[in-house]
Order: sequence, then C-alpha cells, then structure tokens
Amino acid sequence: MHSQGIAMNRVGTDQITDAQSVAARADRAVETCALTKSYRNPWTLKVGRGIENLDLTVGRGEVLGYLGPNGSGKTTTLKLLTGLHKPTSGSAWLFGVPVHDPASRRSLGFLPEQPYFYDYLNGLEYLEFAGQLSGLGGHEATVRGREWLGRVGLGDRERTMLRKYSKGMLQRLGLAAALIHDPELLILDEPMSGLDPFGRRDVRELILEQRARGTTVLFSSHILPDVEVLCDRVAIVLDGRLRRVATVGELVSDSAQRVEIRCTGRPVLEIPPGLAPVLERRDQPHETVFVVNDDTRLREAIAWLIGQQVELRAVTPQRATLEELFLATASGIETPAPIRAGRVA
Amino acid sequence: MIATLIARNTFREASRDRLMVGLMVAGITAMIVTQIASPLALGEGTRITVDLGLTVISVLGLLAVLMVGTSLVAKEIERRTIFNLLSRPIARPHYLIGKWAGLTASLWAVSGGLAIGLWGVLALRGAGDRAPAMFQAVYLAGLEISVVVAIAVLCSALSTPVLSSLYTLGFYLVGQASGDLRAFAGQFPEPLATIVRGAASVAPNLPLFNMRSLAAAGDTTSLVHLGIATGYAFLYVTCVLALASAAFESRDFK
Repeated sequence: MHSQGIAMNRVGTDQITDAQSVAARADRAVETCALTKSYRNPWTLKVGRGIENLDLTVGRGEVLGYLGPNGSGKTTTLKLLTGLHKPTSGSAWLFGVPVHDPASRRSLGFLPEQPYFYDYLNGLEYLEFAGQLSGLGGHEATVRGREWLGRVGLGDRERTMLRKYSKGMLQRLGLAAALIHDPELLILDEPMSGLDPFGRRDVRELILEQRARGTTVLFSSHILPDVEVLCDRVAIVLDGRLRRVATVGELVSDSAQRVEIRCTGRPVLEIPPGLAPVLERRDQPHETVFVVNDDTRLREAIAWLIGQQVELRAVTPQRATLEELFLATASGIETPAPIRAGRVA
Repeated sequence: MIATLIARNTFREASRDRLMVGLMVAGITAMIVTQIASPLALGEGTRITVDLGLTVISVLGLLAVLMVGTSLVAKEIERRTIFNLLSRPIARPHYLIGKWAGLTASLWAVSGGLAIGLWGVLALRGAGDRAPAMFQAVYLAGLEISVVVAIAVLCSALSTPVLSSLYTLGFYLVGQASGDLRAFAGQFPEPLATIVRGAASVAPNLPLFNMRSLAAAGDTTSLVHLGIATGYAFLYVTCVLALASAAFESRDFK
C-alpha cells in the first residue's frame, strides 16, 4: 500500500514536471534539442552532415540572426524547423508544438531563400491562396492580400502575372505571403539576398516593424551590417555545429578595444620603445593616424603625443565589427567553447 | 478544407495551361475530321463517330495525365514552389489529395466538354438516342482517368517528371492488358508466372472502364457494372494515394 502510494506520488510528480516543461516550451518561440540532420548518399552510402546536436532556444519577441558560411547548416536548420526536412535525430518545437505536427506551423511565416512562385497566378491571387492556406477566410485573405501588396510596394501590380515580376518584386511578394496571416514567428532564409539597396532597406524596415509588434524573427543572412542593426542575439554555426550564441553587444565587447588618434600633418616622430607594442602609425595623405591597440594605454599615448607638440584632431574608439568577429570565429582564431543557447524571453 | 484549396489551385493551374487548351482543340478537330471522313464508313458513320469520339476522349485524357499529371508534384519540388506550401499548416497527405483532386476535376471538365461536343455531333447526325450509352462510356473513361491520375501522383511524388511519365505509362499499359496477363501467367515457368500474375494484380484493371464498343453499338451497360467500376476506382485511388502519402511523408525537400 505504501509503495503503491509512492508510485502514485511519482506519477503525479512526473505529470507536474511534464506539464511544466510543456508550459515552458510553449513560452518559447523556437526550441531544439540535440537536433541532427545527416544525409546518406543512396549510392555511395556516405553520410553527409547537415546539422549536428543543435540546442537552440529563441524566446518570444526576440530577433535572432543565424550566421554561418555557405554549407554550414543554416538552411538545413530552417528547413527542419519549417517541416521541409525530417530530422535524423533530436527534436524541435515551435511554441511548444513538435515540428512534425502541421499545427506547429499555424503561427509561422516562412520566406525561403530565392523563393519561387506559381507563374500562372497574379500577385493578388497568390496572396489570397497563401492567406487561405494559413487559415484566413476567403474575403479576409483578399482584403489582407491587397493591403500587403500595397505595403510591400506592389499595390499597382496586383493583376500582373508573377512571371512578369522582377526578382526584387518576387522577394517582396514572398515577404508579404509570409506575413499575410500575422504570424507570431517569422523565419527568413537570406531575406536580403539579391536585393538592391532600396529593397534591403525595405526588408530591414519590415523586420524592424515586426519586431516592434512583438513578432519573433529568426533569419539567416550574410549581410552582417543588417544583422548588427536588426538582431537581439546572433547564433554562429560552422560545419554543422552551433559555435556561439550571444548578443551583438556581448560579441563586440568581448573583442579587444582599439582607439584611433588622428593628427594633423605628418610629424616626424619616433615611437618610444615602451609604447611600440601597443601603438601603430599609419600615414595618410593629409594626416597621420595612430592606433592604440590596448585602450588601457590610451592616456599614456595621448600624453606622449601632446608632449611631442602634435596637433590632435580626433580620438575615436574603434570596435571590432561583427564581420571581423564572424571571420575570426570562422577561422578559429577566436573560437570559444560551444555555448548552449540560453536566453528565454 | 486545405485539400480543397490545393485542388482549386491545381484546377486553376491546369485550366491556364496552354497544353490543356491544345488538347481540347485537338479533340474537337478530331471529331470534325471524323465527320468529314464518315461518308467513307459505308453506313457505319454513327458507330465510327461514337467509337472514335470516345477514343479521342480517353487518349487525350491519358496524354494530359502523362504531360501534366506526372510533373504535378515533381515540378513543384524541382521549382521549389512546394516550400511555400508545406511550410504552412498543411499535412502532406492533404497536399497530395488536393493535387489529385484538382487535376482529376480539370480532366473531367475537359472530358465533359468533349462529351457535350460529341453529343452535339450525334444530334446533328440524328443519332441522339445513343447519348445515354455515350455518356455512360464517358463516365467510365473519367473513372479510368481518375485512377491513372492517382498513379501519376504516386510516381510524381517519388521521382522525376520523365521517369514518372514512363512509370505511369507502364502502369497504364500493364493495366490495359491485366486480364490477358493473368490468363497468360499460367503459360510461364515459375517464378516468372508469379511475377506476371503479381504485376497484373497490382496494376489497375483498366478494361473494367472500357465500354466503347458497347456504346458504339448504342447499347448501355448495367447499373451494377457502373457501381462496381465506381467502387473499384474509389478503392484503387484510395490505396494509391495512401501509398503515395506514406512515401511522401518522409521525403526531404532540397
């Protein structure tokens, strides 16, 4: 009787734990646990790696940039999350619903890389179709289709067949199709690729607008300045493995700080041996730039320059760009131990 | 609901395809040519009109399946338009059912249009009384097309458009000869006999849907035959689409 009571208590505790984990999972927009995808060549039986043991969490309302070189597993991850690929092992959930369940995609808007469309439809017909597939009623899909065509700058093209759309127009239509049903999660695979500066600006503004209304955005990109502007956090994936997840600020503050001191003219100076390891001189046509590689020695460097009667024009801190950090991670110069992605909003 | 949406879009795709319009024009032209040549038929003009008209409907249906149906799913995978569909809350079986239903409906519409044209020709020839038999034959041809479209969807979900066309044509030919193959199977040594019998059993029993000769003579078939053919087509299509869904479920889209 006693052991039966313990067993029942255990069952009860397990149920509570399960219920709590389901509730916690539902509070996250994206969660993956040891998600792995490998491809087996049917002829050579060689196993190619797509993504390996991916543990990633994206909180509600967060914008996460997913970075990595070509072939690193970015698109594979996004396809696993959107149900276009089946995982070899591991699990993934969108808002707590396993990705193998079509219901997980109810609140999802997805823009694939280089989207292709039915060229026998016109812009409005396509958006109506996309909206209805995501659960909108016929009339609502038409109204929202017109609204979104206007918002992405295609309002005067609603009856134009898609075969006559340019690449940039198709990309904007793809974004409209991803957003027509007001999704809570937006997954974008290289949304800026192939766009001119105006198109990139429009997409950037759309993403910022979605962030402001609380939509979770997960997007892969090669255009790092855009990632820097848009993202709360950045995940870097290399060779199918997640190498780093951090905020842009964390990534940048981790790097060594440099300071540039700009001086008028080209003074004849010899850097003293004590400062030589941290001070570098770059002569330019109308000025001289001294770069202090260790900001703790900045005061000392400035004092020496003033002592030499040099006319200082500007002292500017230089932060490493995301691009530099990304390249450093990719080349293994600065590759911290893999981090289990963490923040949950 | 989702399957209906996909079916409606597939119907729209097929109806805007120039190939379908071309097939419709080819069918009407063939019927006109039949009328020009009918004086050579030595009093059998009406019989030949019905026979050739029904043959045109069946052959054009098969051509449409081979040219449109076999690339139905494969083309979407190749052109990656499927990404925009399956990343929405759509179960893969619903997608396949929608594709099958859409193309089947458009081919029924083409067959129906040609049947009305044939009926008009018969009325002009003063042979309007053959209409019931002719419409029964068109109904059975429609069932045959539904079965072949299901096979095309299965092949298309698993292979390239060219291979799908070859596989579907193979199934069609074996299906047309399924009765003969079963009869001949006994003549072959084992294990060939078992293989031939197996192929004849797996392929659809397409002669069940052929009553062209009967209709050409103005004879109708029994309601029992129509009922059995309908039930058989329904079961066969269900099994083939279930098989296609099972195979499609685990597929990755690159």
